[in-house]
Amino acid sequence: MEKPSWTPIVLSGALPREATDLLAILVMGIVALEASLATIGPAASNSRVWLSLLVVPPTCALASVSTTTRRTREELALFAYGGSAWQILLRYFFRGAICAVIAFFPVILQGFLTTATIPELILPELALILAGGLFYSLPSLRRIRSSSFVEHYKS
Amino acid sequence: MASVIETRSVVVEYPSVRGVLRLYGQGVSLRVDQGDFLAVLGGSGWGKSTLVNVVLGLERPIHGSVSFREHDVTRESFVKRCSLVKTAAVFQRPTALPQMTVSQNLHLALSLAGVPRKERDERIKEALAFFGLDKIERSYPDGLSAGQRRRIDLARALAVKPELLVIDEPTGDLDGSATNLLIPLLRGLNRNQGTTIFMTTALPRQASQAKHQVHLRPPTYLTPENRMIGD
Repeated sequence: MEKPSWTPIVLSGALPREATDLLAILVMGIVALEASLATIGPAASNSRVWLSLLVVPPTCALASVSTTTRRTREELALFAYGGSAWQILLRYFFRGAICAVIAFFPVILQGFLTTATIPELILPELALILAGGLFYSLPSLRRIRSSSFVEHYKS
Repeated sequence: MASVIETRSVVVEYPSVRGVLRLYGQGVSLRVDQGDFLAVLGGSGWGKSTLVNVVLGLERPIHGSVSFREHDVTRESFVKRCSLVKTAAVFQRPTALPQMTVSQNLHLALSLAGVPRKERDERIKEALAFFGLDKIERSYPDGLSAGQRRRIDLARALAVKPELLVIDEPTGDLDGSATNLLIPLLRGLNRNQGTTIFMTTALPRQASQAKHQVHLRPPTYLTPENRMIGD
């Protein structure tokens, strides 16, 4: 008996591959780099990192909504292949989180090298992953839940 | 014999400028048994695609119920329905993932359906060859014609080897020769492999190829006072 698997739907789309993803990484990366270079010494760095994290939600949301037409087709196909809404959300959550982590890599690296305590190290990274993932996947949830979504299956 | 799909008095309504658009009159009730080939026949705008969506759990009826293998699935998702009956769907509009090649699309669908890796290549090769897609297996769907994209969907659905195939206007974007191939293929699948088929069509000649037919009624509009103003 063939057992349906949920992993391909998530893993096949978790890596950022679209132009908008790269642009989002670039924008967040510039902000992160700026925060990273401007802060010498641990005392000031933490507040700057938190402040620079504010750029993650709008940038990830923008990257997600700017390809709505293409993304809708992707979602329709994944449903047709037997995927569920949660699997599709997870797929985009991972993509958004990966975009944010790549962009903030210099800051994360600096944090590892300079921060002494674990909570100080973990909390910003957790916030980064959550913000990137949530704001990248929420537009998809809104599309999937809308009553007009399944109308796209009709001619 | 246990039914694979059963709908009871299903009615769908949509708001429109002329009032509420009501599909299926007093409700559509149908039963599809194991190994059946049912064609739903109706004109344009009569709710054929909507009925496909209702059967698959993508839209919910305002009245009535849908059962899969005697389980009420009216409020259940497509995924839940697939767990009761292994289902593949082909929609009216092509649905291949644009960033994957033809072959990768089929791989993803088969891996989602849990087909072992060893079997996938063989099934994909077979399906692509059957639909004449073997020369474009590395092409991306956006660069292909509507008919070719339609064939990708069909190849993907058939490669899964479903128990139930739900297919909305199967020959919509196909050329004459592909159309002539498809209906005998569906009949062969139904007869030789026992695949249960639920198909919609606007063509009486196509519907007549199925074992059973259901004729939809034209939609009606309801005014706020609940008065019929015709179709």
